Amino acid sequence: MTQSTSTNMAEIYRFLAQSMRYPSPDWMQADYFSALNTFLVELGWDAEAQTIRQAISEGTDWLESIQVEHTRLFVNAVPFVVAPPYGSIYLSADGMLYGPSADKAKAFYREQGFDLAGEADIPDHLTFELEFLALLAEEGKGQEEELFLQQHFRPWFPKFQARVLQEGRHPFYGVLVNLIDFFTREEM
Amino acid sequence: MALNLTRRKFLQTASLAAATAAMSGCFANRATASTPFVKKPFTAPGSFADTKTAVGGVCEMCFWRCQLVGKVRDGKLVKLEGNPKSIDNGASICARGNAGVKLLYDPDRLKFPMKNVGKRGAPQWKRITWDEALDECAAKLKGVVDKYGPHGIAMFPHGSSATYPMGFFEKVVGTPNVSEASFFQCRGIRDMAYVATLDTPPDENVDMANAKAIMLLGGHFGENVHVSHVKRYLKGLENGAKLIVVDPRFSASAAKAHIWVKIKPGTDTAFLLAIMNHLIKTGKYNKAYVEANGVGFDKFKAGISHATLAWAAKTCDVPVKQIKEVAELLAANSPNVSIHPGRHVSWYGNDFQRERSLACLTGLLGAIGVKGGFVKGKGPKVGKAGGWPKINEEHAEEHALHRMAKKHPFSPPGTPTDMIREAAITGKPYAIKGFVAWGQNPIQTIPDQEMTIKMLQQMDFVMVCDIMPTDITMYADILLPESSYLERYDMIKPGTQWDLSGKQEQYISARMPLVSVTAADHERKDSVWITNEIAKRMGLGKHIPVQTMEEKTNKALAGANLSIEQLVKEDGIHVQPGADPYGSVLKVNFFSQEVADAGFPAIPTYIPVPETPKGYARLVYGRSPVHTFNRSQNNAWLANEMPENPVWLNDESAKKMGLKDGDRIELVNQDGVKSQTSSVVKVTPGIRKDTVYMAHGYGTKNPAMTVAVGKGIDDQSLITKLAVDPETGAHGMRNNFVKFVKNGKVLSIPA
Ligand code: SF4
Repeated sequence: MTQSTSTNMAEIYRFLAQSMRYPSPDWMQADYFSALNTFLVELGWDAEAQTIRQAISEGTDWLESIQVEHTRLFVNAVPFVVAPPYGSIYLSADGMLYGPSADKAKAFYREQGFDLAGEADIPDHLTFELEFLALLAEEGKGQEEELFLQQHFRPWFPKFQARVLQEGRHPFYGVLVNLIDFFTREEM
Repeated sequence: MALNLTRRKFLQTASLAAATAAMSGCFANRATASTPFVKKPFTAPGSFADTKTAVGGVCEMCFWRCQLVGKVRDGKLVKLEGNPKSIDNGASICARGNAGVKLLYDPDRLKFPMKNVGKRGAPQWKRITWDEALDECAAKLKGVVDKYGPHGIAMFPHGSSATYPMGFFEKVVGTPNVSEASFFQCRGIRDMAYVATLDTPPDENVDMANAKAIMLLGGHFGENVHVSHVKRYLKGLENGAKLIVVDPRFSASAAKAHIWVKIKPGTDTAFLLAIMNHLIKTGKYNKAYVEANGVGFDKFKAGISHATLAWAAKTCDVPVKQIKEVAELLAANSPNVSIHPGRHVSWYGNDFQRERSLACLTGLLGAIGVKGGFVKGKGPKVGKAGGWPKINEEHAEEHALHRMAKKHPFSPPGTPTDMIREAAITGKPYAIKGFVAWGQNPIQTIPDQEMTIKMLQQMDFVMVCDIMPTDITMYADILLPESSYLERYDMIKPGTQWDLSGKQEQYISARMPLVSVTAADHERKDSVWITNEIAKRMGLGKHIPVQTMEEKTNKALAGANLSIEQLVKEDGIHVQPGADPYGSVLKVNFFSQEVADAGFPAIPTYIPVPETPKGYARLVYGRSPVHTFNRSQNNAWLANEMPENPVWLNDESAKKMGLKDGDRIELVNQDGVKSQTSSVVKVTPGIRKDTVYMAHGYGTKNPAMTVAVGKGIDDQSLITKLAVDPETGAHGMRNNFVKFVKNGKVLSIPA
């Protein structure tokens, strides 16, 4: 990968990470949606772009409906937290946070000279892993990026993605997990 | 999706530039910093891979509060152990205590303040900021106070972190309507009955380790594990103490008993009266102690003279010979006898009288202040801190429902649960429109869930603060996430060495965080912070007694010339020389004028409970060794140990009903209420035919608890018939009767 594409890739990872954070009005605004729209259109994902445009123009309170969806899918909800966004939930036998796979992700961060800021941060949170990929891309560490994707990210992400796709009620997160999948999937 | 466009191709296209240019601009207004990472030069593993020991933990998987240390590797709690410096639980903790790690890392834990934008009972959650949440809580609570008065708020607390907000609501806001499950659905009756009899609440202070005989009434140690308590019990047995277990079920304790009294449920008081009458008639009681310390003994003696062995045998369905045997065994070992006061004693609605009987029997045997008897360890003095000023306590007292109605004069602190619920539903004598649950899950702690839900539905505002999404959280308008006992300062735990006859020592420990609470994926706060913020927003900030949990802890420790810093230096537990606990003497109110004046039987009296209807069996519940509360039920480790609660059924009954061990069944109660979930049958000779048994705390309804939901049967959902203990107003929960349902077919239980 050339330097400029890897800088671009860092930008994309960051954008994806941010998109998975809680949809608060300090970032989820018209600017964001136009960037997402451009992105999807440039990718040729016109149908997806269209669904999202529709979803946010139809709903009376489009932001609240994405907030409710985010909470239900990732934080706390009835009938259950559909898809907790942590790797070890999908990789450890007891389905708990901070399983052994999370320790391994953290060791990887350390080897690359990075550490998490919060003392009790759970290392394998989806947004952390995406932000970390952004850092690797930014530093032009293409090999490490591939290795991290292969050893740490891909082993759980498709399981998470499947839950979101199956249980999602709002199109936003379905499109987002497919986007993440597209940019992290191994290519033949 | 466009055909054939791969990631690689996309990254090479010109359109990439256009796409990412839009991206980089779009977060310009973003308030939060972009990366959660900090740069840190790589150091070889080893330097950070070391496991450190964090001291100062106090367990809260049950109320026993064993002292812990945490093994922490690189910020992650990997294991909990007993604090080796502990002179109470020592290095041991129980299975639940161990599983605290899993509570800490439970994905279902509450993480952020939430607003319910759906309905109560069918919530739709939206994450909100603490400011929004606190503003709304304060405004709504204040709204209730302004419109209906302070008594318009009801609070249902549980656990040590709820003490501080409880003080705020009672003393500063001024509501009497506080219902603690630990009192009204557990031990309050015991405490009040012992206060009426011996002038002191008993806790679990029987010196079992040094007893020659131990009597348990429904106690089932082994299944109900509290580390140092079980240590006392086992040491006593090891030393040859004779064990008497009175229980309709062959419990883990019954399995160790010298005498297992397979009593008919509800008749324990009759059994105790007959024993006391027999001891008096045969002159085998402790005359010296009774003469010196007994009050109203003659009236007592006359008043229970009807309680013959034959009468009790018939009433309790126990052979005369066995009652006599128990009485003689107690007499032979008196005064070194542990008559266990019990803990969860809210059973039949006649419980105050039973607990009075236990206290009287203790006195009759002179088993007070002696080895093996009722003895309180002499603990250290510590300071008090964080008490709210009594601004509005008078208002609270004037509006206490039981006082207004002149009922339940022996109510434990707070207001009887049922009266709060009644008042809320009927609006009489006044409206109750604000509801706060703090660590308590009233859906499971209080009988008759339909009534509880009715109460919740008519509220103007419902606020819930908890660590897990328990059933009650589904009814919250605003839901607040609290830090867990492993992440906060909280309480002081003083005590003595576990074996009262051992080297006399005292200890002081405090709950201190074992791991940090700071993380990007949640915003949990402790109860001092939350309460203070609400107080400020309600305009009551000037009454705030302490700013932080840490300050509260330090102030209390200062009363013992200690500090958090010092305690850490001493490995989390300060140990100092103690004092001999033996030799204390207590007056025994065999006849209680106070109880008489209040219009209740002044000497212990047996009040029959409703008989089991034909075709049914009485539903009795208890503890499992792995669960304490619904809270611990979502725990994956514990759920694996005992995923559901088998329903015990007598083997002969099972045969007649065509049920086999392990059959999947549901239960239906006398009011036609069916369990919403199922469990399996445990077929056993170890239970009476008129009784079925299951462990408490299963079958949660809140599907947000992913591990626990629908596993086993929730005993509470079947407890629809209420018994209320007249003296105390506490609930009796064992007057409900069930039939089995298999494959949709209702099966009656043969007599
Ligand atoms: S008995 Fe077990 S659950 Fe209770 S405090 Fe001790 S270790 Fe914790």
